[in-house]
Formats: sequence, C-alpha cells, structure tokens
Amino acid sequence: MLEVQGLQKRFGGVTAVADGALTLREGELLSIIGPNGAGKTTLFNLISGLEPPDAGSVRFQGQDITGAVPEALAALGIARTFQHGRVFGNLSVLDNVLVGAHTRLRAVKPALPLLGPLLEMALAALRPPAVRAEEAALRRDAEQILARFGDRLLPRLHQPAFSLSYANRRRVEIARALALRPKLLLLDEPTAGMNQTETAEMQEVVADLKRSGLTILLIEHKLEMVMRLSDRVLVMDNGRRIAEGLPQQVRNNPAVIEAYLGHRHAGAEPVS
Amino acid sequence: MSALLELQGLNSFYGPVQVHFELSLEVRQGQIVCLLGGNASGKSTTMKSILGLQRPRSGSIRFDGADITGLPTPRIIRRGIGSVPEARRLFPAMTVRENLLMGAYARSDKPGIAADEARVLALFPRLAERLAQRAGTMSGGEQQMLAMARALMGRPKLICMDEPTMGLSPLFVDRVLELIQAINREGVTVFMVEQNASLALAIAHHGYVLQAGRIALQGAAGDLLQDHRIRDAYLGGAATG
Amino acid sequence: MSAWFDYTVNGFVIGNIYALLAVGLALIYGVANLVNFAHGSVYVVGAYIGWAAITHLGTPLPLTLLCVVVVCALVGVAIERIGLRALQGSSRIAPLLATIGIGLVLDQVVQLVWSPDPRAVPMQVPEWRIAIGGGTIGALDLLIAGIGCSSAAVLYGFLRFTKLGWAVRATAQDSDAAQQMGVDINRVNMAVFAIASVLSGISGLLVGMYYNQINPAMSFEATLKGIVALIIGGLGNVPGAIAGSLILGLTESYGIALFGTSYRNLFAFVLLVAMLLWRPNGLFAPRRAAAPEPMVGTFIARSLPVKLPRWVVPVVLLAAALLPLLNQPYLLQIGANSLMYAMLALSLTLVAGTVGQVSLGHAALLAIGGYASGLLALDAGWPVALAIPAAGLITAGLGTALVWPAFRLTGHYVSIATLGIGEIVSLVILNWTGLTRGAIGLGGIPPLELFGVDLGSVQGTYWLCLVVLVLLALLQLRLLSSHLGRTWRAIRDDSVAARSHGVGEDRYKALAFGYGGFAAGISGAITAHVYSYINHETFGASLSVLALTMVILGGMGNVLGAVLGATLLIALPEAFRALAEYRILIYGVVLLLLIRFRPQGLMGTV
Repeated sequence: MLEVQGLQKRFGGVTAVADGALTLREGELLSIIGPNGAGKTTLFNLISGLEPPDAGSVRFQGQDITGAVPEALAALGIARTFQHGRVFGNLSVLDNVLVGAHTRLRAVKPALPLLGPLLEMALAALRPPAVRAEEAALRRDAEQILARFGDRLLPRLHQPAFSLSYANRRRVEIARALALRPKLLLLDEPTAGMNQTETAEMQEVVADLKRSGLTILLIEHKLEMVMRLSDRVLVMDNGRRIAEGLPQQVRNNPAVIEAYLGHRHAGAEPVS
Repeated sequence: MSALLELQGLNSFYGPVQVHFELSLEVRQGQIVCLLGGNASGKSTTMKSILGLQRPRSGSIRFDGADITGLPTPRIIRRGIGSVPEARRLFPAMTVRENLLMGAYARSDKPGIAADEARVLALFPRLAERLAQRAGTMSGGEQQMLAMARALMGRPKLICMDEPTMGLSPLFVDRVLELIQAINREGVTVFMVEQNASLALAIAHHGYVLQAGRIALQGAAGDLLQDHRIRDAYLGGAATG
Repeated sequence: MSAWFDYTVNGFVIGNIYALLAVGLALIYGVANLVNFAHGSVYVVGAYIGWAAITHLGTPLPLTLLCVVVVCALVGVAIERIGLRALQGSSRIAPLLATIGIGLVLDQVVQLVWSPDPRAVPMQVPEWRIAIGGGTIGALDLLIAGIGCSSAAVLYGFLRFTKLGWAVRATAQDSDAAQQMGVDINRVNMAVFAIASVLSGISGLLVGMYYNQINPAMSFEATLKGIVALIIGGLGNVPGAIAGSLILGLTESYGIALFGTSYRNLFAFVLLVAMLLWRPNGLFAPRRAAAPEPMVGTFIARSLPVKLPRWVVPVVLLAAALLPLLNQPYLLQIGANSLMYAMLALSLTLVAGTVGQVSLGHAALLAIGGYASGLLALDAGWPVALAIPAAGLITAGLGTALVWPAFRLTGHYVSIATLGIGEIVSLVILNWTGLTRGAIGLGGIPPLELFGVDLGSVQGTYWLCLVVLVLLALLQLRLLSSHLGRTWRAIRDDSVAARSHGVGEDRYKALAFGYGGFAAGISGAITAHVYSYINHETFGASLSVLALTMVILGGMGNVLGAVLGATLLIALPEAFRALAEYRILIYGVVLLLLIRFRPQGLMGTV
C-alpha cells in the first residue's frame, strides 16, 4: 500500500534521514522506533508532504506521491498526527474534528473550476437541505469518533482546544485525523506525555483501529505498546534503518537494543 | 557532599497544561546526575526551569546556597551554571573561536579566558584545528563537542546538558560520554537530561526517572541500571505483560 | 551622458540614505524578529530635532548631529521598552502592532509640536559642486556618502570586535542560546534599537538637507522605503540591507530618468512585491520559501468571546434604527460615519482576525470600491443603486486578484506585502489619468439614491448605511457559523495542520479576501457617493491603521466587536470636540494600551 525507497533529507550539515525505506501492506500496523534524533519524525514529514525529500521516492497505492503537497495527500486518504500535538487552539473540540472531515465535504463544495469556490460561499450562506444534511451527518460522525475516547472528550465538545489537558489534545488530534476517514494513518507518538492509565487507554484505541482494518504507521517510544500492537517493527538510528522484523525478532536483536536503549540494556531482566 | 542544585516541589505549567507535579530533585557537588524519561515527560521543562527560561508556578530552585527561582537567565548563568542546550544551539554563522568566546561572555578576566581557551582546546583537540571554521558547517558530533567546550569556557560550577547524545553516531556517542566524565573529573558537577537510559546511567552517579511530570524512580546509577522497574517507568507505560 | 552621471550620483546618494534606514531595520529584525513600523517616525523626529537645533539654537553641523543622535537614541530605547519588552510573552503579532501604534503617536507628537506644515532645513554644507566628466558632485553628496560609508564601517567594527557587538550577532542567530551564555537580551535589544534609531534620525536630517524640506508625513514613506530595501537584501541581513538600499536608490533614480517623478514610488513598491513573490528571503539568500513561523495558536490572544445577554443586540439595533427620530443631524452624521467605518472593520476583522492575514493595505479596497462606483455612475451612467453593489463585486474580484500572489506568505510578510499592494493601488489611481483623472480626482459623484428615492439627506444616508451594515454583519455571521468559519480559523491557528487535513489555503484565503473586498468595496462606494468628491489620497494608509485599531479594539475576528470598535473610535472623539486636534494621537495611545492590557479586545477574539 505504501512503499518508501531511498528517502534522503539533509538540514545544513546534518543528515536527518540518510536512507528511509519501508513497505506497508494494507491493514498492517508498522511501528518505527529508535532513539530521539534518529530521524523518525523527519521521515514522517517526508512521507506526509511537509518537507520535500532530497532524494528517494514514496508510492501510495501504486501512485507516485513523492513531494506531493499535504492537501493532495489528505485527498488521497492519508492522515497524520503531529509529534507535539498541533490542534487548532481556538477552535472547539467539535470544530477541530470537523476540520478533519474537510476532504469529505461534497454537497457544499461543487467540483467546478473557478465557479466552485463562489458556489461554495453561496451554499455556505444559503444552506440548502443537502448542505444541512451533510453537515449534520459529519457532526454525528464526529461525535461518534469522539466517543471512541469514552467520556474524555464528549462532555467538552464546545470547549476551545487550548483549554484541554495535554492528553486530551492528543486525543482530539487523533479524532481529527480519523474524521478524514483515512486509508493510511500516521501516528507520531500518540502517547507522549501520557501517564500509565492514559497510555493504556490510547493503546486500546489504536488496537481498536487496527481491528477495524485501518493501515497504520506508528512512531512510538513505549516499547511494550509497540510490541503488543505491531505486526512489524522498523528500527531507525542515525537516519537509517538498522533492523526490521516481527516484534519478537526485533526485541531480541542486539543491534536494536544497543541503538534504542544504549550499549548496556537498561532495565533488562536481572542477569543472575 | 552537599547539594549544589536543589529543586523543591516544582509545579510548572505550559499554558493551561500542568507539566510538573511537585517535582523535587537534587544534584550533589562533584557528581554526574542524570534525569531520564520519554518524550513529553517534562525533562526539557526541568532544564528550562533551572536555566530560568521558564518560570515554575510554585516551588523553588536553589543553586550554590542561593534561591534562583525566577531569576533572569543571564543572572543564573553568571552564578556559575553552564548550559549545553538540546540540539546544541550553536551560533552557526560565527566561527568556532567566536562560539568559544561567546561561552565566556559573562566573564571579564582576559588572562583567565585565554588560559581556559587553551585548557578547553587541549580537551577538544579537534576544535583547535578548526578555530576559523563556521560552526554551522561542522558535523553533528563536532558541533556537540563545540557546544560542550563553549559551556566550559564560562568556568561553570555546574554544567547542564540537554540530551547530549541525541542524533549522534555511536562513535561520537562514546566520545561525548568520555568527555562528560573528563569534565566531571576536573571538578565540574554535571546535570544531564537524557532519553538514552543505559548510556547516561553508565557514567552517572545518580539517576532520576521522570514520567508524565513526576519522579517515578530514583537511586544510585548502578542500582537503577539493574532495576527492571525502570523499563516500566521509562519505556513501558502500559506494561502489563 | 552627463544626465546619466547625475542620475547615478543621485541614486547613490538616495541609496545611502535608504541604507541608514534599512541597516537599522535589519539589525532590529535580526535580534527581535520584528519589522519596526515606527522606524520612519524616528527618521522624522531626527529631521525635526536637527531643524530645531539649527533654527532655534544655531548649532553647527557636528553639534546638530549630536543633538539628533542623543534624542533618537532615547526614542529608540523608548520604542524597545514599550513595543518589545513590555510585550514579552504576548501573541506574535503584538509587537508589530505596537510599533505601528508607536509610529502613529510619534508622528502626531511631531505634528503637534512643529505643525504639519513643511519646513526648510538650512543648508549647513558649502554649496560648491565639482564637475566630473559631464556631471557634478556637491559637498552634500560627499557628506551623505561619507556618513553612509563611515556608519557602515563603524557598524562593522562594532559587530566584529566589541563584546556587545558579538552579543548582537549571537542574539540574532539564536537568542535562546545567547541567553544561556549570559547575554542579557533586553540590553542587546535596547542597544540595537538605540543604534538603529540614531541611524534613522541621521538619515532624516540628511534627507531634510538634501531636499531642503521636511514634513511629518515623510515618516510613512521612509518606513516603506526602508522595508523595501530590507526585503531586497533579506530580512535581518545587514550587508544585504546596504546592497538593497543602493539597488533601490539607483532603480528609483533611473526610473525617474526614464518615466518621470510620479512613477518613482511605483517602482519601489513593484520591486517590493516582486521580491516577496520570487525571492522572499532576499537577493543574497538561497532561493527557498520564507522560513515558516512555527507558532501554533499563538498568533492571536487566546480568549473566549464575551457573551452578551440575548436582548442586548436587538435593543441596541432598535435604538440605532430609531436614532433619526431624535432629529439631530449632527448626531446622525456621526452615526452614518461610524456605520461606514464599521463595514470596513467587518471586512478587516474577517481577513486579519478570522483568517489571520494582518492586512495593512485595507484602505486600498475602499479606494477601489469608491472609484468603481463613482466611475460607473459618472462615466457609464449607472444608477447609484446598481453602481454600489457592482463596486462591491468589482472590489471583491480585483482585491482578491491583487492579493493572490501574497497568499503563500505568512506573518510579517503578509503585512508588508499588503502594505505594498495598497500603495501600488493608490499610485496606479494617481497615474492612470485616462481612467481615474489622476491627481484631479473624481468630482460630482451623484448622491445616494435608491431607484429614484433620494437618500442624500443625513437621515437617508444613515438608514441606508444601517441596513447595509446589518445585512453584511448577518451574512458574515452566517458564513462564520458554516464550514467556512472553522476552515478559516483553522488556517489561522495552524496552517500546516490545516493543509494536512486537505484544506487548500489559497482557496479559503481567496474567499475571505473576496468577502472582505465586497464589504470594504461597498463601504468605499457609499463613502464616495456621500462625499461626492474623492481622490487618490481620500483612502490613505492611515485609514488602514485606523481600521486595524477598530478591529483590535473590538476583538480580532469578532463581528459585533468590529462594529463596536468602529463606533467607539469614530463617535467618541466627536463627543470630545475639544480634543479634535489630538484625535489620531488618541487612536495611537488606545492601540498601544489595548495591545498591552487587553489584547483580546473588548468583545474577545473569536
């Protein structure tokens, strides 16, 4: 479904991604792990069109999407979250999720060149039944997506996102990405800054999404979560892939342990 | 040994979001102390609070016997704290030498600065070859060394390092760790924030593990290295199996 | 041949004057990431201090320069205190708005102290000229070139060899890291503002001598020219600013030679817009898109809109509708004025507040609307009732098309580009004599009427304005509550995240400018029919700043706030007639106080 080959990106004198390569099959969950600064987020940015790669190619469902702009990728069904959570601070929780559903607007966005935008404005002002129905349907859908997070967000539908806790903002971000009805979901550290209970909840949400057949590319630091959720794990260090395989294989790969945890495996089972 | 740096009951906020919950820790004179934790656990905010770049809502920070909570950054630096910021943060358009001398900005004893420049260059011979090169054109590992050398130029009592091994190749990681130990042997106390637990614990005397803004675990580095709970606290999160 | 030599000398001299301005702007942008819109005002202060010292105290040139240096350094320190240091931790746009406010205040103080009339600066330099080749060089030319070059040399030495100079460079490259080296950023900023202001003030004095005339209105043009030179060289690039200034000076000088004086500024602004489009990082930086400003959600102050009890708006509306029954023409006149401004504020609050594109050229939309309606009525013989809505549509289309190239810009760049585009509109109106009658202006524009019903009376105007405003406000509220509202605000809060969810920025910015152009065009059209005479200066840049003040006063993006802001700023000064002279000064002070103490405005940002 997604095929990345030989991606490269340099910033000044520093190579962020030296050789980004991965393949992702439909319905699969692939995790990317590696220490801070290994180039994981840069690889995400290259795939999702936020930065143009210096070399290499990205193919999605057989189509070359190297260097495509983010809005084009969204239209193809690729959604992402951001490492530190980029919600629209002044928008309500509900509006955040509805913006996520932007690519699904049909009735209000006639696909006509030039006239389309003008009609869109007119339809937004007049709101014929079709437009009202579409908006209501998206709203119901948004509430359903938010219900995935139990009562964490539902009671806060109309609160501005800037007033939410960090964990809730991360949830809003994921809900917003889901509202796009993505074929491929890129999650950048969805549990960063969360405590154990919150992490466990998030793990359930991601597991749920996976069960529903969604293809997911996940960057995550919490190894237990990675081991439980992933079909395959890709390990990066210094901008290149150093290992790839089933979670069990990767877990026992000494090169991985060294890169990720350091030379001596901290917290390993006590050697007796 | 007395505490050179002491954080007491820190509560920090980022906008409406609480980052630290009653955070307390201490760094003893002459030691290497590391603060470990995953992304968004509040490590960097701890560093910012110590350096005066972010003011905690409550709690106190004491350095060398004096309260430095809420002091402006330059005054904290002038009290004897050197900083090696995350991602190095060199002055890219200035030469290596200018960067080093910027490290001594808070000092005015010219002979002392010259002596320290010689001393620091002896510690980092690689930099001595490149004094006239622009800092931004060096490799990541060299930049990290320059950042450390720059901090030393201020002759600090305490040196604060934010993720010194981030993004470095294994070769340079080892070199940086050796240098941190060398710096420490010269009598400089080191406080480092690291994500790479075993690397940091291998050279540290004492370690703290931060999780979602709270100290989840602490102890002598040797004990922590053997403690399987570190894995849950630091990597696991929902470690149930 | 000799003429070309003179044009070159002239261009070089003007370039030196611009360089004195632009170097300061570059230094300030370097350390504070701020385009100082008060820079031209310091230039005017410098010119007037020099004039006052010479005429009142009879100072010789060195002493005159010393006076200018001291006063301008103090003004620079004050700007740093009020416009920058006091706003630490505020939203990103706050310091930019503050320098606009400070500029307004400085200009007004100069006007109040020395009157708006032009003054002649006595020549303090011998009047001999040397003949070289076919042209001549005078002592003043040499003095200006000498001051320009020696300033550059002193500045180079300062940045390269002094400790404070090092701190300035370090701060410009990475202010956080500089602080962690023990650099006191506030002191660096203060020093940089003082140095920049001194250079600007000297520049003002030299210009006064060169043209033998100064007036307070010079400030706006000086700011603009400095910014143009800055953009040519690249924001924050000091040597680039010098090169950019010389290029600008020579371009203008040769442009005058080829096409005549009235095209001079047109060249400068076309150059500005072209640079922003093709080389936003300046001539000397690699050709890349402007660095993104990675501020998320900090563009505007975070707040919740003020909730009014349900009855308030209908009651106020009813009171406003019944106002004509009081039979007080003067009151109605103020009311009608407020309503026309409120339409402009509605337009700007959408563009600057809701979508986050802080336009500093909004008055140009009024001008387009006014001219369109006036010309349709006068030349094409359209009835007023048709000409006004047609003018709204023309402004929507033309305005959007003009700003279109600037859509990919962000933050400061948008403000600078819209400012430049606004000036281009006004210069085109001045120069396109065939259509607009040029400097003569449009006279005899027919009064307001609606299919034969005469609305030229004060009551008629008032009622028409009220109805139009209510309709526009309702339409805007309707759009804001639709998917457009959330899409616009999403672009403002985080355009990267918005794009990642499929929001095409250009399309929605265009729709916002389209609606904004429509509302502003109608406002300009009605104004034209009420005034019956307009020219290229009727809708000047100060109107853009006034509109921005209204929008900030009411709360960015807030529809009711825009109406309230316009009403307060237009009506209140009328209530205190005695203060009429201080009106604009009061606007400036209000703007500064708001930014500092109530950044979300009276009704809250939306």
